[in-house]
Amino acid sequence: MTENIVQYSPRGRARAIKGFLRQFLSHGGAQVGLVCLVFFLIVATMPNMLVGPLQTAINATGDFLVPPSGQHLLGTDEVGRDVLNLVVHGARISLTIALLATVISLVVGTTVGMTSGYFGGWVDTWLMRITDFFFVMPSFVLALVITPVVLEVMGRGGDILGFRPSLFVIIVVIGMTSWSFVARIVRSQTLSLKERTFIDRARVVGSSNFGIMVRHILPNLVPQIAANGALVVAGAIYIETSLSFLGLGDPLQPSWGTLLSLAQRAGAASAGAWWYLGAPGVCALTVSLSFVLIGNALDDTFNPRRRAIP
Amino acid sequence: MRDTADILRLENLQVHFPIQGGLFDRVLGRPSGAVRAVDGIDLTIGRGEIVALVGESGSGKTTVGRVITKLAQPTGGNLLFDGRDMSSERGASPLRPYRRRVQMIFQDAYQALNPRHTVFDIVAEPLRSLRLVENDAQLTERVSEALTGAGLNPPGDFFARFPHELSGGQRQRVVIAGALAVKPELIVADEPVSMLDVSIRAQILQVLVDLRDKHNMALLFITHDLPLAWLIADRIAVLYLGKLVEIGSADDITYNPRHPYTVALLNATPQIGGDADRGKLPALQGEVPSAARVPKGCRFHPRCPLAFDRCRQEEPPANEVGPRHMSACWLAK
Ligand SMILES: Nc1ncnc2c1ncn2[C@@H]1O[C@H](COP(=O)(O)OP(=O)(O)OP(=O)(O)O)[C@@H](O)[C@H]1O
Ligand code: SF4
Ligand SMILES: [Mg+2]
Repeated sequence: MTENIVQYSPRGRARAIKGFLRQFLSHGGAQVGLVCLVFFLIVATMPNMLVGPLQTAINATGDFLVPPSGQHLLGTDEVGRDVLNLVVHGARISLTIALLATVISLVVGTTVGMTSGYFGGWVDTWLMRITDFFFVMPSFVLALVITPVVLEVMGRGGDILGFRPSLFVIIVVIGMTSWSFVARIVRSQTLSLKERTFIDRARVVGSSNFGIMVRHILPNLVPQIAANGALVVAGAIYIETSLSFLGLGDPLQPSWGTLLSLAQRAGAASAGAWWYLGAPGVCALTVSLSFVLIGNALDDTFNPRRRAIP
Repeated sequence: MRDTADILRLENLQVHFPIQGGLFDRVLGRPSGAVRAVDGIDLTIGRGEIVALVGESGSGKTTVGRVITKLAQPTGGNLLFDGRDMSSERGASPLRPYRRRVQMIFQDAYQALNPRHTVFDIVAEPLRSLRLVENDAQLTERVSEALTGAGLNPPGDFFARFPHELSGGQRQRVVIAGALAVKPELIVADEPVSMLDVSIRAQILQVLVDLRDKHNMALLFITHDLPLAWLIADRIAVLYLGKLVEIGSADDITYNPRHPYTVALLNATPQIGGDADRGKLPALQGEVPSAARVPKGCRFHPRCPLAFDRCRQEEPPANEVGPRHMSACWLAK
């Protein structure tokens, strides 16, 4: 008898998941987004195999600011490093920052939004006040405040979970400034979910508040969280790029934003070195666009009714 | 009425919802009133007894059910279950022993089932959260038993289904199975068949009657349909605007009604007891007043064809008009 649970439940779920995937993958935007994303993920997972170790001023292989050629497909920078090498290694840094920041933002945003909407009353009032505070707080300001503190406490050297302190700060800052968006969406969805009769039933059959939130509300939030999560990643890449561009990145672990910043400082624009600015720029743009496409496709798949209304 | 000891007793139960006055009212200092959804009712349900709670829309039936199942807090009076006052208990774990004994069936089964849970998980939920089973084998056994009891055969075929893959009748059976799995002593059923096709109603009603007959569960059957109440219930309580106007055996209420409102309800439904002599009264006029503005005196007087002066001033008490038969009317003695 026991096997029944093990056997039956996943089968029904597998059917539901298969149907969902079929619908999702038939979406044009999703296809484009996924192809781009898979490409960048492959690039990000094996940069050393594709272009060799990250080049520095010491092991640079080319001349200064050479335009694209057979030897340097994307040209070189002002110290003779291969731009393709930098961009491929940047993919790993940029994507890791964006994904980790998104995880922080989804976990915090979902927890705060769900708690706020479910309990209501003064819990809601206070949590929403905090959320609004973070909502209007510009990430740049937060980064400027937090960076020196973290660097003071941790020191410039060493690393935190494999990241140099300044990158760790960027992850935390992006996470802290983007969760409020998630919290608001999750809260409003929770407000409508908690009025549903199945929540009453859950209470009558003895479920605790925690059980109701985890087993009844959270699974019904997954569509919103997934769709908006993809948008958060897109936003995170954008914020990461702009923070690094402003010089808050780490030159020893250059992300696309850091490369843009270096290019700017090297006068790439006035020197006509379009490859140096263009390569990281196009990458950042493509990745964040593919996440937007995926997010919209997820949203469409989860809310089929919205498709009818243009 | 197999056993005279009552399982549930409501004493002067009240549920008033405060009305949030608009900004204008607050500025002008107008008193904000209350919706008197349930306005002092006394009712008992015996072990294994089926009591029907009948009333028009807005009379407060659902609110009574929600108080009994602890989804709403009473603002006054007592809720006694098996002699214990439950009116101020709250919280999932303090209520766990109570919930093992009192369950609910909902009007809209589709809304009452989480669309992301399988039938197995839905029926297993009370067994898990009320800690009624010790292991998976027991869990599967109780779930199968409950599904069979609710008429879903063979139970294994339904385990992996999602609510949207079931018919309306099957969904209501799943809700019933969830309540049944607990083996409660009292089930509150809030209009359990009103959303179902007529062809399925009889089957679902049979399942409910079986609960009593096989497991001696008491049932509070909430409905706006008096003939249905007569069909299923041992006793009927008639609710009007938050107050019980008549309580009696199903036959007394149907063939010997002693409150003008009950008579009017019966006249509107000629299918049952059509030949009984219950006096010729004109049909009900007017709308049910809002529970926010309950009329003074007898709350039925604006619509009562027999109303006289006293009715407009004084509220009639519950008069004993026969054995276990009560009517709240000045004319009932
Ligand atoms: N949460 C609430 N806040 C304010 N008023 C409420 C609330 N719940 C119910 N009411 C009011 O209480 C009265 C009784 O409502 P209730 O739902 O109990 O009636 P009902 O007899 O179940 O009606 P129906 O047959 O339409 O289901 C109505 O006037 C309703 O508007
Ligand atoms: S008390 Fe008066 S108004 Fe009320 S039901 Fe009886 S006769 Fe009608
Ligand atoms: Mg109702």
